[in-house]
Amino acid sequence: MRIPKQSPEISDRIVDFDGGTLERRPVMKSEVLREFQALNNRFAVRVVEKLPVDQDGVLDPQAMDRLLVTVHCEMQRMSEEFQHGQRMAELLNPLLNAIRDASSPRRLTVVDIGCGSGFVLRWLAAHRAVPDDVDLIGADYNPALIAEARRLAEAENLGCQFKVANAFRLEETAAIYISTGILHHFRGSSLTQLFAQHVRPGTRAFLHFDFHQSPLAPFGSWLFHAARMRQPLAKHDGVLSAIRAYTAHELLSAARAGAPTFTSAVYGTKLWQLPIPRAFHSLVGVLPEYHDAFIANLGSKALSLGVIR
Amino acid sequence: MIALGLWILATLDAAFAGYRAAAGRNGLIRKRRYYLRAMILGAILGQVAVALAAGIILITLTLTPDRLGLLRDYNLAGARMLLVYVPYAVIILFAFLVRSIPSVDIRSITSTLVFGPFTLIRPAVAIAGLVYGMLAAPRLEISVVAVTVLVMMLGLERALSSYRRLSSSSTN
Repeated sequence: MRIPKQSPEISDRIVDFDGGTLERRPVMKSEVLREFQALNNRFAVRVVEKLPVDQDGVLDPQAMDRLLVTVHCEMQRMSEEFQHGQRMAELLNPLLNAIRDASSPRRLTVVDIGCGSGFVLRWLAAHRAVPDDVDLIGADYNPALIAEARRLAEAENLGCQFKVANAFRLEETAAIYISTGILHHFRGSSLTQLFAQHVRPGTRAFLHFDFHQSPLAPFGSWLFHAARMRQPLAKHDGVLSAIRAYTAHELLSAARAGAPTFTSAVYGTKLWQLPIPRAFHSLVGVLPEYHDAFIANLGSKALSLGVIR
Repeated sequence: MIALGLWILATLDAAFAGYRAAAGRNGLIRKRRYYLRAMILGAILGQVAVALAAGIILITLTLTPDRLGLLRDYNLAGARMLLVYVPYAVIILFAFLVRSIPSVDIRSITSTLVFGPFTLIRPAVAIAGLVYGMLAAPRLEISVVAVTVLVMMLGLERALSSYRRLSSSSTN
């Protein structure tokens, strides 16, 4: 599978929402095809060619929603296999405890940016992996994914909320912003702008997981997506995600430029101090007054994760 | 013993095919029962494949004038198949053992090194085992059984996936 690095992910192109009003905008199939053809991304062209349209050539919104819900369900399988819920909890709890150590205890809110069908928050809630006085809120532009997240949370009676919203415009103040696999979607200056939005009253930390860039990552991603995914779109986007992943240094420089008031570091760069890359690494930013407590709470875990500061 | 070994491996393989066909289709967090049912369904359907292969073997044994010779060749081919399938199964089962260690990193490594790649090479291993078995005793009866088993081994997951797809689309 040859995918040009400059190509966007298919899932970023087949739906479109206004960033301000969150209203859905129609997507012309011909325009999406033209973009992928211009990039010589044949795999994406083949995938998009098969997508249904209405009489005006607009990609069928319901079909796109169904496809994305299916893809997110398949992605959840990978998250389960790679223990992503547990992985998130292992970094999130030291952050939460650090914030509590240094300030008066009160309810804290964790907001998941681009939560999709909400696997991480639902996992945390189902396993009671964070204290009861932590509110878990997932935000995503896509109403179909949020509806699915709500349906699944309700089916298991889980204490987390999901909102069709811009995560940075919620009524609630996020003490910690988290995300999984979204950073590489922000290209160029928009990544710095993303971090700039974290700088707001009440926000004390952020914790973002994304693919760890390494020479092996695209092959590893291809292997797993070939073995585990059914949807061609998921296979394409999964491999492209690994190709487009940022290095730890790129993430750090963007975070420091956008959110200079936070002390940032990338964790999970090595496995047990060995030169074996991990599938995911995590960018952690914390206000300086909580930094020492966070490191203390991590304990020996910090060493085994491998840290780039 | 050879037949028993092959039956155990076929049943395990069918159960895991049931798991794989069900995986990635249910967004709930707690779904142990869902996967258990999927594996049982796979194992049961696997018995249909086993019964069909056993039926062909019995028919050929009944019809052949050289029953002992054919039985010996079946055993020879079966033993050769086990030589390929047992190491594969042992590695998978060992990975499950390692995965029981409650460490995110260790569990992820079992997926990276074993479960993912071994899922991909499974069709090749299935073919290799059957070809190696057939070469031990190249005769028509064994080839017919081998091809039947192969088609069912590789077709089972596809059939289970189609069943899952149809049942999920009918409930939506």
